[in-house]
Amino acid sequence: METLRLIARIGDQRVAIPADQVESVVEIDAITPVPLAAPHIAGLAALRSRVLTIIDTYAALEIGRSPREGLLQAIVVTIDHHLYGLLVDEVVDVASIPGEPEPVHAGLSRGWAHAACGLVEHDGHALLQLDPARIVAGPAVGPAVLAA
Amino acid sequence: MDELLAEFIAETRETLEPLAGEIVAWERAPDDRARLDGIFRFVHTVKGSCGFLDLPRLERLSHAAEGVLAEVREGSRRPDKALVSAVLAIIDRIGELVEALAADVPYSEHGDEALILALEKRSAPDEADASSLAMAPLVPAGPRAPARSIRLPVELLDRMMAGVSDMVLARNELSRRLRERGNDGSVDAAFERLSTCVAEMRESITRTRMQRIDGLFSALPRMVRDLSSELGKQVLLAIDGGDVELDREMIEMIRDPLTHIVRNAIDHGIELPAERQAAAKPAAGTLRVDARQSGNQILIEIADDGRGIDDERLVQKAIGSGLVTRERAATMTRGERLELIFSAGLSTADQVTAVSGRGVGMDVVRANVERIGGTVDIDTQLGRGCRLTLRVPMTLTIIPALTFSVGSELFAIPRGAIDEIVRASGGSVVVERVGNSPVARIRGERVPVVLLGELLGVESHVDQARAILVVVRASSGERYALSVDTVQDHEELVVKPAAPAIMATGVYAGTTLPDNGRPMLLIDPAGVAQIAGVRASDAALPAQSEAVVDVVETVPTLLFRACDDAVRAIRLGLVERIEDVASSAVADVGGRLRLSHDGRIVPLFGCDVVVPDKYDRVRVLLLGDGTNEIAYVIREVVDIHALSPDCVPVSEPGPIAGVMLVDGMQVELIDCFWLFAQACNPIASAERPLCLLDSDDPWMRDVLRPIVEQAGYRVAYSGDASERAGAVMILSADRAAPAPDEGGTVIRLRANAEENGRSAGSIYRYDRSGLIAALAAAQGGR
Repeated sequence: METLRLIARIGDQRVAIPADQVESVVEIDAITPVPLAAPHIAGLAALRSRVLTIIDTYAALEIGRSPREGLLQAIVVTIDHHLYGLLVDEVVDVASIPGEPEPVHAGLSRGWAHAACGLVEHDGHALLQLDPARIVAGPAVGPAVLAA
Repeated sequence: MDELLAEFIAETRETLEPLAGEIVAWERAPDDRARLDGIFRFVHTVKGSCGFLDLPRLERLSHAAEGVLAEVREGSRRPDKALVSAVLAIIDRIGELVEALAADVPYSEHGDEALILALEKRSAPDEADASSLAMAPLVPAGPRAPARSIRLPVELLDRMMAGVSDMVLARNELSRRLRERGNDGSVDAAFERLSTCVAEMRESITRTRMQRIDGLFSALPRMVRDLSSELGKQVLLAIDGGDVELDREMIEMIRDPLTHIVRNAIDHGIELPAERQAAAKPAAGTLRVDARQSGNQILIEIADDGRGIDDERLVQKAIGSGLVTRERAATMTRGERLELIFSAGLSTADQVTAVSGRGVGMDVVRANVERIGGTVDIDTQLGRGCRLTLRVPMTLTIIPALTFSVGSELFAIPRGAIDEIVRASGGSVVVERVGNSPVARIRGERVPVVLLGELLGVESHVDQARAILVVVRASSGERYALSVDTVQDHEELVVKPAAPAIMATGVYAGTTLPDNGRPMLLIDPAGVAQIAGVRASDAALPAQSEAVVDVVETVPTLLFRACDDAVRAIRLGLVERIEDVASSAVADVGGRLRLSHDGRIVPLFGCDVVVPDKYDRVRVLLLGDGTNEIAYVIREVVDIHALSPDCVPVSEPGPIAGVMLVDGMQVELIDCFWLFAQACNPIASAERPLCLLDSDDPWMRDVLRPIVEQAGYRVAYSGDASERAGAVMILSADRAAPAPDEGGTVIRLRANAEENGRSAGSIYRYDRSGLIAALAAAQGGR
């Protein structure tokens, strides 16, 4: 099966997201913070007349905090009728990558393991395919438990 | 117009238009089965709807056409030209009648018979006969009332709404640019006109989305009727508030939850008639469905007077299915126990019925309602019924809001929730600290203050004394002042539900995009009250006695029939559970009755000898004070009342605290304090402090003594006391005060409420609280 996938960079990891789940890629300049929300909720941003909930992908993957300097790129997805923008460091390409993702045998850290649905090959590189819904849902274990 | 009728008209019109073409095509190819079926379906549907809506004329016409078409379908009749014309004429007539119905004008019945007769004419050789009927209607059809309504997919409305919102943003952008360029009279005027148009358009598009909740409720009578007859139950349905308007998408979103709740109420809530009569209730159960608007929320209540939800059984099921541990269950409050009904995979139904309890449970209901930013609350009394309250926001609509800033952040709050806005340092406003929480005194009324910056963890830029207090009244009843930095503006905002992770904070009602294009959060006053811990009961206390107190404090109180058949009362707060236990679990051991329950031994009160029922069971109330547990035998639960906290106290400490009036009947109130004191290791009487009373004063002996004893003292009389050291002495104020013994305290009581020179420093003898305070102080000072 041949599928279009969006390739992006999060930290030093290249990831793939099925293009049919992506509405668009936008540049975000201002984020309205949401006090009291979970750490992976970076805030709100506007996409024309619609409100995007911006997800701090680093926090969702438990690898720190997404950089917030300058113009930010976000991948727009719709999950359960809500619009989200997943912050990424760079959108690299949209490529047609054949085949289903294969199970990951390498030991992934918990955050990655939670969001990943497998590995795909592109240009001789292995890309982690991520499930946007799992990124939006945030870390598998609540932050309160982590802190304890 | 009746919603159902309007629906029928819209539907009929919609199917009529393509049908005209179908009929013509069918006439050309009479053997085209698919076309014939299409026409047959149409008349059949019309006939069905007409019977339902009580439109006998339309029913007769469609019935006749249906009959002929059925014959054609069976092959017993050939569709010749005359027949097709006659069917066409009938369908035209149906169309005309429907238009007349829509315009609400009478339409002559003349000619119906002829049309029906024309159908019966079997292959009339004279074609002109039939066609003349069809071509020239017997009644000159007036100008067709133009269709005033159309059906639109909601997505189209959404797109329009989004388009208008984009337009507003573009207008604002333009407005900024124009301001930067300086004034140009002619451009400004044109821009003003554009602005007005945009605003009007936005308003009318918003209106298109509003619908009366009637549309949702109109399906209920039929459903209730069908369900109750299927289950052999009698249910009276009372619907109120059908004229409440809310967003049509919201209506769609609550359709399933509402249906599910109503089904549950009939299936599990309302009992069979015989069962109800046995419980002294009317044979027919009542199901109330009410809608009302409360601020920016719509409240829908579904209440039945059925058997209620047995939270004990819920807990047992939850333990059985591993949802909660036994330890956790033991510490759960009643509210928490009832919350279990919303847990996935928990159904209280003993049997899975066809109606409900098929796995789609209350968890789905709650999830669906929460997805649109709503909440579901449950309230139930065992044996008396159950009430579910859906609160859904009127979001996706434009609501008037106040925007304000805290630190560098902007927030909005629904204007409907705002009572007033005052400056914290204003003339009639004083902000005091009570404990560690600020309370504002606004024109003599005390209002708790919620520091929004502190609550949200946003640094405030304004000194607290210069803050603005926005006094709000939440839909849940709390009134409090929200302390914010500055008030920005009044704006009309399009509010949309926020993502679940944002709603999970509990303080936001949704998100909005104001004219500046930067998203903003709408504060939910009820959520803030809850998070900040403002409670309705202690909100808005009058600071002065002249302020009218409209809230009478009540305590939920359980009435029960005791073992001696007397009705007694107990404060519900202490009742953890009501259980039926095997009588063998009760034993007279260690000098008292004890109950072995869940692996623990619990002291048992309420009777001297346990009389089990015919199933060899005993019903007990399990009471808990947080640490200790005791059981109290009862015969049955009578009722739960909200009663005044006061009662007429009895003189002797004992299992009865006092007597209270319930519906004109004197009822003894159980003294839980005494029961727990008995159950726990009692303080040895020698360790109790001594209080000396004047033995010459009969009032002290008979009236005062029980109060002193209840305060924890041992009583002796001044004449016969041998150990006076350290004792508290109570004397009448008109007796000379003796020199106090070392370490002793003297409390002097006076007979008159007013103090005079002689009785200075004394306490009025019926000032119970003053006396108890003095006794407590004396004890603490030892």
